[in-house]
Amino acid sequence: MKRFSMVLLALLFLIATIQPVLAAARVWELDKGHSNFYFSVDHIFSKVHGQFNDYSGEIRFDPDNLAESRFHFAIKTASVDTNIAKRDKHLQSADFFDSAKYPLLTFESTKITDAGNGLYEVLGNFTVKGQAYDLVLPLSFAGIKDHPAAKGKEVAGFNGKVTIDRLVHKIGTGKFYDLGVVGKDVEIFVSLEALSSK
Amino acid sequence: MVMPKNSQSNNRQLVRKLRISCIIGFLVIVIGGAISIPFIYESQTLWYKIGVDKTMLRAGQITGLLAVILLFVQIILAVRGKFLQELFGLPSLMRWHRVNGVLVFVLVLCHVTLVLAPEGFLNLPIGMKYWPELVGLILFLIVFVMVVSSLFRQQLGFAYIRWRTIHKSLGYLALVLVAIHVLFVSESFEHSIPRTGLIAAVATVVIIVFRVKTAALQKKRKQ
Repeated sequence: MKRFSMVLLALLFLIATIQPVLAAARVWELDKGHSNFYFSVDHIFSKVHGQFNDYSGEIRFDPDNLAESRFHFAIKTASVDTNIAKRDKHLQSADFFDSAKYPLLTFESTKITDAGNGLYEVLGNFTVKGQAYDLVLPLSFAGIKDHPAAKGKEVAGFNGKVTIDRLVHKIGTGKFYDLGVVGKDVEIFVSLEALSSK
Repeated sequence: MVMPKNSQSNNRQLVRKLRISCIIGFLVIVIGGAISIPFIYESQTLWYKIGVDKTMLRAGQITGLLAVILLFVQIILAVRGKFLQELFGLPSLMRWHRVNGVLVFVLVLCHVTLVLAPEGFLNLPIGMKYWPELVGLILFLIVFVMVVSSLFRQQLGFAYIRWRTIHKSLGYLALVLVAIHVLFVSESFEHSIPRTGLIAAVATVVIIVFRVKTAALQKKRKQ
């Protein structure tokens, strides 16, 4: 009886420890040197391009286990870079991101669906200025391959575009839009490379 | 022809008044010209400011430019050229120098406050890409140290000779830094007229300092 109990306990322990390992999707580490969150927005007639230089991310992705896959990004608004320091400072002010009060933009996926042809629709909560909004980020999965430069590593690639209305997200009050200076639609281009040990 | 003593004295007074009027007139023109820069050569930063923010930023630019001119005046007063000494007398020059120093500090304080307020005091321009603004911060600290150490030299226990050496060095350093700060921080100074004007003003101050110092050195050698 005692022996049976010991075996049962050992089995339960094994199940408890192995199951999450089996269920969790593969963890990928963002290659920050080759990833970014770019954006472009209309300025009267032209387009102003920018990017965020400081962000963190967590990717768990397995095409065969989408239920356990997830994407989480946290972007520091103070790292906005449009190649003009004074414009960046203005974007960080209360007129736009209000970085002092709201230092982060976050995206936390809640559901990933396979739309076919390597396209995944990542539904998640996009939090801007403390307010969460539903956002579908369509990510095109470029595939997984051995990293040509780093031995023992595999690289996965994702690219996606989404357009958001900055005024809906309260990035600005609309005064510059009303003046016809800054557009309200912001095109966001997400380009990611993520690494994982083989 | 021999002129009566009274008439000679009257003539001297007239020439003195004329010279003072010329100096005041020149200062008024320079100050007027500097104040017009944020209006004539409006920076793009001003284009994107509305209402109170725009007023504050423009006022900040004006106070900054006034501080720059008074800083130049301060250095010219400090070297005490023969021309100014004869015109105003040494005690007046030194009194003016002290008052002007405090005025420069007040203007710099107003400039910093008014320029930073529109973007928010929690959104300060810190980091390598804001290096011209950081040069401004160093300048602010230099002016602060110069004014405080001058007003409270004895209370702070600074020996006169040591204080004077540091005060002078910081003054010349401020001249260099203010030129760098203005030329690189302000979009208005990307235009050739303000840029040339500033460079000419700095060059004028440097020439005046050089000439006064050279003359003083020659006088010392002769003695």
